[in-house]
Amino acid sequence: MKITLNQVMPFPLASMHHGEHSIWGKQIELLPGNKVMLNASSGKGKSTFINTVFGIRTDFVGSVNFEATDSKNLSTRDWTNIRQRKISAIFQDLQLFPSITVKENLLLKNNLTQTFTTDQILNFLDFLGISDKWEQQCGLLSMGQQQRVAIIRALCQPYEWLLMDEPFSHLDEDNTQRCLKLIIDRTEEQKSGFVLTSLGDYHGIQYDQTLML
Amino acid sequence: MIQKLLFRNQDRKQLIIAMLGAFMGITFLIASVHYLIRLNEFGQGSEILGPNTIIVQKKVTNSSSLALTKTDFSEREIEKMEKLPFIEKVKPVLSNNFDVSFETADPLVPRFRSDVFVQTVDPSFLDVHSNKWHWKEGDAFVPIIMPRDFLVMLNTFMSASNIPQISDDLAMDIRFKFTVSNQTKKVWVDARIIGFTNEVSSILVPESFMAYGNEQFSLGEEKKITQLMISGKENEFGKVEALLKEKGLESKNAQMVAGRLKSVIGTLLLVVMGISVIAVFLSGLVLLQYMQLLMSKNEYEVRTMMRIGYAPKILIRTFFLYFVKIFGIIAGLGLGSFFILKYFLDEMFTTGGIYLNTSVSLATFLVLTTVYTFFAIASYRTASKGIHRHF
Repeated sequence: MKITLNQVMPFPLASMHHGEHSIWGKQIELLPGNKVMLNASSGKGKSTFINTVFGIRTDFVGSVNFEATDSKNLSTRDWTNIRQRKISAIFQDLQLFPSITVKENLLLKNNLTQTFTTDQILNFLDFLGISDKWEQQCGLLSMGQQQRVAIIRALCQPYEWLLMDEPFSHLDEDNTQRCLKLIIDRTEEQKSGFVLTSLGDYHGIQYDQTLML
Repeated sequence: MIQKLLFRNQDRKQLIIAMLGAFMGITFLIASVHYLIRLNEFGQGSEILGPNTIIVQKKVTNSSSLALTKTDFSEREIEKMEKLPFIEKVKPVLSNNFDVSFETADPLVPRFRSDVFVQTVDPSFLDVHSNKWHWKEGDAFVPIIMPRDFLVMLNTFMSASNIPQISDDLAMDIRFKFTVSNQTKKVWVDARIIGFTNEVSSILVPESFMAYGNEQFSLGEEKKITQLMISGKENEFGKVEALLKEKGLESKNAQMVAGRLKSVIGTLLLVVMGISVIAVFLSGLVLLQYMQLLMSKNEYEVRTMMRIGYAPKILIRTFFLYFVKIFGIIAGLGLGSFFILKYFLDEMFTTGGIYLNTSVSLATFLVLTTVYTFFAIASYRTASKGIHRHF
């Protein structure tokens, strides 16, 4: 699914000065299967970009198109379908449910699409070194552990695009690389693409497209 | 899992208060509807006259005895009464203007003869099938409605003559005959009892028989209208009573007591029903408000679930089912307590001599279903509005 941003300018960022390479107010295409890096310093609108493409924010001029469809014309049912099958997201604030366990957080998502078996999910947790947290309440985990749970949750569905908003901000290099491997394997397996926002760290990956804000 | 996430950490105080209110409201609502229906049915069928019907006449005073005041009703008086809002209908009770005697005409029953007084009323006041209540010259018999007192008198005669007494059913099988006459001619017409009345003191005959007698055997001057049959509207008997007092009219005490009793209990039940409707309505609103509160408290959970791909309809269904289940439990408990209440109330009514039909009226279930349906629709709309606001 090709995503096109046509002269998108979020209202809160309209009064700011944007550099020559900034994507705001320009036509940008995200091609299927591409690995996209979105690089910007704090406050430039990385989260705004993710939330705009994901349909959480609608306070912008211009349009975001999925193939030929303007996202503003999508119904609630269309968005539900997109969020279940086409675009997955790892939010900067993670958006986990702190009152329930890791298991419940992950199964709540996986039960929607039946993407993995419980054993497969446990293998992911094991690979990221947090399998012992399976029955633990999510709110009691460290930020790094929660970030890994959020990454696994985002993978528990089929997708054509994976949007990641600074997903490794609380992880050390070793855990970041493990997470990246999991993400890239799953993305390539589905011939999907991803957008990774970062403050400047490329994490040693070859990207098809680099965007600036 | 979804329920665990969305319905945790509830402050159940408000929920319990709303549930209690709804439970009491439903119990009293269905009880009042049930008893209102049963009370309105009370007396129907057992009496040949329709419900809420009384026969009135002007009070006989010393001055009327001396012919200084009238005891008959003019056309104008009847018309005026008909126009009153609490009166359903008013019709004169017509009396015979010919000589008539009544006797047994059955070989199995000893001869009994008496001069009688016959009357006729508008058929709309009578609770009898119209195909039973008609007569024309040449018919095998005249259908009659007999005052129960007359049967008592007949049985007293039987008993004194050492003859077995007769029941209501048997009396309806016995053949009787009228002797209709004036100074110059006389005919015999067979008669058969088709029902009994406690309210009328004379033998009731069809209008066509009265017209025949008055035409063929008239004793001269036309009879005056001294009695009226009045049918009052449901639960407005007090106004009928006030009218009787104002106009100096009187009726049989039993009729008045029954009408007054029905009217008072009916009004009380209406008040209880009104309060119950308000209680159910307010409790329903509190429950819906509680649902809104729950959705607001769980705004983060609701919003995040939709962000990870949950369809709003799944969340709407979760909230909707939770609350209709709660209301279902309340309705079930309300119905159960209604049955317990009904058991005691039926006992009380029976002990008090009011024999109401004890089967549960269909309207009770209809009211319950209606209330439940209204709540279900309202809770679905509230859930839908609340969830879509967070999308």
